[in-house]
Amino acid sequence: MKRLNILVGALSIPLFVVAWEVIARSGIVNAVLFPPPSVVAVAVLEWVRSGQFFLDLGASLYRVVTGFVVGAALGIALGVLTGQFALVSSLLSPLFHILRPIPPIAFVPIVILWFGLSETGKLFLVVWGVFFTVWLSTHIGVQKVDRGLIRAAQMLGTPRRQMLQEIVLLGALPYIVVGLRTAISISFYTLVAAELAGAFAGIVYRIEIAQQNLQTGQVMGGLAALGLMSFVADRLFAAVAERTVWWR
Amino acid sequence: MARTIISVADLSIVFDTPQGQVIAVDRVTFSVAHGEFVCIVGPSGCGKSTVLNTIAGLETPYSGAVIVDGKPMQRPRPDVGMVFQQPHLFPWKSVRKNIAHGPRMLGKSRSEARAIADGLIEMIGLNRFADAYPHTLSGGMQQRVAIARALANQPRVLLMDEPFGALDAQTRSVMQDSLLELRDRIDATVVFVTHDIDEAILLADRVLIMSAGPGRILRDLGVDLPRPRSNAIMLDPAYLALKKDCLDLIRSEGRRAFDQSSAG
Repeated sequence: MKRLNILVGALSIPLFVVAWEVIARSGIVNAVLFPPPSVVAVAVLEWVRSGQFFLDLGASLYRVVTGFVVGAALGIALGVLTGQFALVSSLLSPLFHILRPIPPIAFVPIVILWFGLSETGKLFLVVWGVFFTVWLSTHIGVQKVDRGLIRAAQMLGTPRRQMLQEIVLLGALPYIVVGLRTAISISFYTLVAAELAGAFAGIVYRIEIAQQNLQTGQVMGGLAALGLMSFVADRLFAAVAERTVWWR
Repeated sequence: MARTIISVADLSIVFDTPQGQVIAVDRVTFSVAHGEFVCIVGPSGCGKSTVLNTIAGLETPYSGAVIVDGKPMQRPRPDVGMVFQQPHLFPWKSVRKNIAHGPRMLGKSRSEARAIADGLIEMIGLNRFADAYPHTLSGGMQQRVAIARALANQPRVLLMDEPFGALDAQTRSVMQDSLLELRDRIDATVVFVTHDIDEAILLADRVLIMSAGPGRILRDLGVDLPRPRSNAIMLDPAYLALKKDCLDLIRSEGRRAFDQSSAG
């Protein structure tokens, strides 16, 4: 039974691709709008061979990675501050709670007004999306740090600084990691919005250009590339997280 | 009489609750001499842990004072160590690093702290587990590490808040015997809170019996049983007589409290 499950699991994607090829070539559907995987593969190959793919990948990766790192760093720093100090929380939490529910994509128009089509605007969107998720999970994590650990550390003469850097931060780490993982998918959502709003390179930008030229194969190839990027990022992070919070 | 190291004077502690202020501890006075092992016994909610937390500097007196080694307790101090009911070990640190944490925080070098930790690991008999992480240890082993960690700063006073309360009966009696052994090898005054009368008489030089609502000290009882002791002492007639005294006292107090609360 278990072996059958594994076999079927391994066939899942190949079966889908074969079915797609057959249907697309059968003439039931319009092959221009719904090209078979072989055509998509050729389009992707062309994309890679022209060298444009790597420029696009680089541009998108740069936006997602930089935005994620900056947003996460800000989120963790402010989350520790609001989680630990009631006064800072009173000052900032109400503001963050008003801004947080606004979908980051809704900021695209104003970001274009502010930054035009510059890289800064795109980074701003990704940072904005990542920040609130990481801030909230850090804030909650810091507040949920086992009081017993804090008291034990106090009894051992742990100074305030070490308490914050070591006990509170590591105590909150399991929560922070969950927030960071959610933020990875958010950083890709916001990347899509940022590049659709107008760019000069990038995976999503390329999808949009291909759509305008009715190169459906390339559109699909772009989607696949985006999915693969997001998937790899999530898996990489999961592997890192497992090593970071290994004591759980 | 050896000199006084802990002095609790007219200590009251009041908690704010949604039902108004509740007096948790009501004018408690006692002192502990250097090197003494004192147990505080009483039913749950009698404020015994609150008294201990105040000696630890984790709780502030509402009125009265707690003086340890000549200085009033206002916040936790490294010369006063504490073992809680739960081990509260740092889950991301190995046994050795957990024990070395205190010395490191007090400014000892890495190698000094490591040497202190290794000595204590030897003493609690966990040599094979020095590099193990807390979640891989049994409850009894974790509590041994917690005791060693509290001792690493060489505290003048060791406070223990029902440290064996969460362990199974068998582990508990093993832990009691090893604490008795350990105690002969360290130079610390111990205040040990428990609700288990057997445990209190077995371990203590003196037993303070507390009553609930509000928490007061009912009796200050000397335990003149010979040392070294072990769990075997629990069949000794002198031990049984002491235990009977305690039980009678607690029973009559329990009846009084019950009558009072049903009348009120």
